[in-house]
Amino acid sequence: MGEQAFKLWKDWRLHVIVLAIVAVTESIGTFAIPLGPGTILLLPMLYAVVIGLALYFTPLVTDKQSINAEPLVFLSVSVLIAKFGVQAGPALPQIIEAGPALLLQEFGNLGTILLALPLAVFLGLKRESIGMTHSIGREANLALITDKYGLSSPEGRGVMAMYIFGTVFGSIFIGLISGFLATVTPLHPISFAMATGVGSGSMAAASLGPLIAAFPEMSETLTAFSGVSNLISSVTGLYMSIFIGLPLTVKMYEILSKNKEKKAAKGGVDYDKKS
Amino acid sequence: MIKSLKEWILVFTIIGVIMLIGNWIGYDILPWEALPGIAILIGISLAGLIIHRLLPFQLPSIAYIGIIGLILTIPGVPGATQIVTHTTEVTLLAIATPILAYAGVSIGRSWFDFVQLGWKTIVIGMVVLLGTFLGSAVIAEIILRFQGII
Repeated sequence: MGEQAFKLWKDWRLHVIVLAIVAVTESIGTFAIPLGPGTILLLPMLYAVVIGLALYFTPLVTDKQSINAEPLVFLSVSVLIAKFGVQAGPALPQIIEAGPALLLQEFGNLGTILLALPLAVFLGLKRESIGMTHSIGREANLALITDKYGLSSPEGRGVMAMYIFGTVFGSIFIGLISGFLATVTPLHPISFAMATGVGSGSMAAASLGPLIAAFPEMSETLTAFSGVSNLISSVTGLYMSIFIGLPLTVKMYEILSKNKEKKAAKGGVDYDKKS
Repeated sequence: MIKSLKEWILVFTIIGVIMLIGNWIGYDILPWEALPGIAILIGISLAGLIIHRLLPFQLPSIAYIGIIGLILTIPGVPGATQIVTHTTEVTLLAIATPILAYAGVSIGRSWFDFVQLGWKTIVIGMVVLLGTFLGSAVIAEIILRFQGII
């Protein structure tokens, strides 16, 4: 950051586009769509990411704007993190009380291994599934897999696929499900606020927004917990993946793929011609 | 350092103005009422970025930014009440909208790579996000209940 982000402020075209997106989306405002027992909240920030993406395919946005936008995401996220911080101070006694939950919910990252890894193996993916499902697949996990297997390995392709998916769709998807899950499941909004901290800064923003909109009376508490959870994840998340997430995924992959071979041999069904 | 500092300040000024306008249109908070708040948030961000540059440890800069914000607003710290009052005028949702607008413009370049990945990636990607999100929430819920907090 910094040197390579030279003269970002000069890209007036990019800033005018973003200002226009903000003005348009904020005037449209929030819509709540009831869906079964829950609610899907459409927030200005969700339109903003879709409009921004769509504009890339118009002559309004050139590659230069798209390249410059990346460090600007980081710099604007830092303002959000500052907001998380100032909400956390006043809630400090409450946060200390909930400390064990905040630290241990990092283990929730393992949820993806239990849920997504069997599915990936079932769909016929090989070692790609290790890269794909060992974690939520953000920058730190990309670095970890690259370091261990190299980016051109099957594991590397898997983590890259997940990184791209998360970058393109992460904030849209998690923004849609967070408000819905919070209204439809019996889990407490504070538990969901902690869960918003697990991903990237823009995912945190996208998933916390609908929570606050659904429970406005708890807005300060929810922001504080989300912020602290994000802080803890950013410091401990990588170690969680190194020491628990990745070894567990590899182990489980070996067991799952062996079972699959056995089944295939017994039933005589040729699931996968190569193996 | 000086060069990036100048760059950071100019960029933050632009981002700050965009956030103030969004905060005005979407949440009816007049820009001059939210101005001190956004200035404080930008100041905290800058301080975090500078500390990250100066210190030799490999902690992400957002860790410093979050911690500074937290320390400044602990009840009893001089000025904490004023910081909280001013920053409340800047809505979190108004901060998030420009972030995701920049993100949208930036991810356009990954779109074709993404399309090549195929439907399996989309299915697994959704389950990965859902699994992580729900997994964290469930564990948090269990421990919070165990402690009798909720």
